[in-house]
Amino acid sequence: MSWLSQAAAAAGRIAAGLVPAARREWAEAVWAEAHEVPAGWPRLSWRAGGLALVAKEAQMVRRISIALLFAVAAGAAAWGAWPGSPVSHGAAVQGGIIITLTLLAGLPLLTRWVLGPPDSRAARWLRAGFYAAILAVMPAQAAIGLFVGTVPRGGIDRHTFDVFQGPGVPGSSSGGPDWGGEIGILLLTACYLAVVLALTARRTPVAPATLAIGAGTGAVLGIVMYAVAPLGLNVKYPDRPWLHGSAADTVGTLAWILLFGAPLVAGVIGGLRCYVPDDPGEAGVARAWQGFAAGLVSGGVGALFVTVLGSGSVALLVKSAWVRDWLYQGQHVTASAVYGRELFASQNVTAYPFLLVAFPVIGLVLGLTGAGIANVAASSRAGSGAAAADCAAGVGRGDVSPTLEN
Amino acid sequence: MGSRTEFSPQTLSVLAALCGQPSAWQHGYALARQTGLKSGTLYPILIRLADRGLVEACWEEEPVPGRPRRHLYRLTADGLASATTALAEADLAASKARRGTSLRRGRNVAAPAVP
Repeated sequence: MSWLSQAAAAAGRIAAGLVPAARREWAEAVWAEAHEVPAGWPRLSWRAGGLALVAKEAQMVRRISIALLFAVAAGAAAWGAWPGSPVSHGAAVQGGIIITLTLLAGLPLLTRWVLGPPDSRAARWLRAGFYAAILAVMPAQAAIGLFVGTVPRGGIDRHTFDVFQGPGVPGSSSGGPDWGGEIGILLLTACYLAVVLALTARRTPVAPATLAIGAGTGAVLGIVMYAVAPLGLNVKYPDRPWLHGSAADTVGTLAWILLFGAPLVAGVIGGLRCYVPDDPGEAGVARAWQGFAAGLVSGGVGALFVTVLGSGSVALLVKSAWVRDWLYQGQHVTASAVYGRELFASQNVTAYPFLLVAFPVIGLVLGLTGAGIANVAASSRAGSGAAAADCAAGVGRGDVSPTLEN
Repeated sequence: MGSRTEFSPQTLSVLAALCGQPSAWQHGYALARQTGLKSGTLYPILIRLADRGLVEACWEEEPVPGRPRRHLYRLTADGLASATTALAEADLAASKARRGTSLRRGRNVAAPAVP
């Protein structure tokens, strides 16, 4: 019994470290009090109650559930993305998967230590959405990489491949990007992850409403952009299977408006909705922070939506016949033409990294501009409010202008 | 402030134990003995009461040889007012329930048999 009690005491002391600092004294109190409880089962039962308290206060059930969910999703994504057949860039693809998953698992712990955990529902949802996006893109990009890197053995497809990709060894497969490409993708992923974790951490002065506005406007931007270019990005020869004629022009114009309008609006709303100090200089800085964050989130979420939906569509296009039939409904497309379109779409996916860099940069510039507009609007509103208050006070004191008297 | 519906029977028992000696600091195991609650039930109740400003907590100032310092609890002024009201309401409700039961029982006994 004594060893069991000692083990429970040691476990409790370690477990108390898991409890947030504000609550830790309560866990320590149970442990300190255990010395008063008679030895044997009563003391063990007392310490078991202490462990239950630690589990509750440290939100262990939620943490374990999130960890399990992440493990399952990451395992599924790695299984889907892992190169199956012998491919020339297999080591690079495998390395990319392992490093990505390590970053996703490890960087939040580092951010938590430096900047604190996420402390709002908007922050948690944004993180969860970002993780879902990365884990969804991994197998989609792997499927596309395998398809675009596989050289047909012969026939018209071989000729089509040579036209698009240049000559290759028939039957061989690269399986994805080489180490250079993989490192570029990893750097981009790490930057996105670091920014998302930092913006959603407790010690960063970004309001939950700012995150929600940025994510909302970004989602609208991303969905409209995806509708314009569902099969990769190609400005010169856009492939829009479901938009024709004036509809394509209208949605295309809307996409351009949203590319600049969504972060601008997010910046204005973010700047106007936040709580600011009385000092005009500090208020300006606070609004600039919210505008910067809202614009950045708007652009980033928009780019992620396009990338996830586009990569998913192209991956399904090369994998499933029903997607091809649905996309090119009512069109008679020959087998060789289908292969050509699949190859074309797979190549256009390589433009997404450009978009993943450009959208957030546009977003943060326009978000800051929006915050500037919000600052001017708030200042003029405060000025007119003060003038109205002065006027009302003047009327109240009997300090009335002759015009009003007459 | 402290209406009857706000507190569970377990919380009321903790408040009653603290009300017994309102100005004295009490430690967790003493409260557990008075209320019959396990540590896994008692401490979450104390945390909630402290969060609401009804209970204040502190560590024993002077270390006692042979045992760790204790975490001590007592009611705040608000806590004492809430506890007094809640316990009085609980007593009233209990006595009403008892009277209702005895009246029903009495009626059942006195009810004439229908021929």
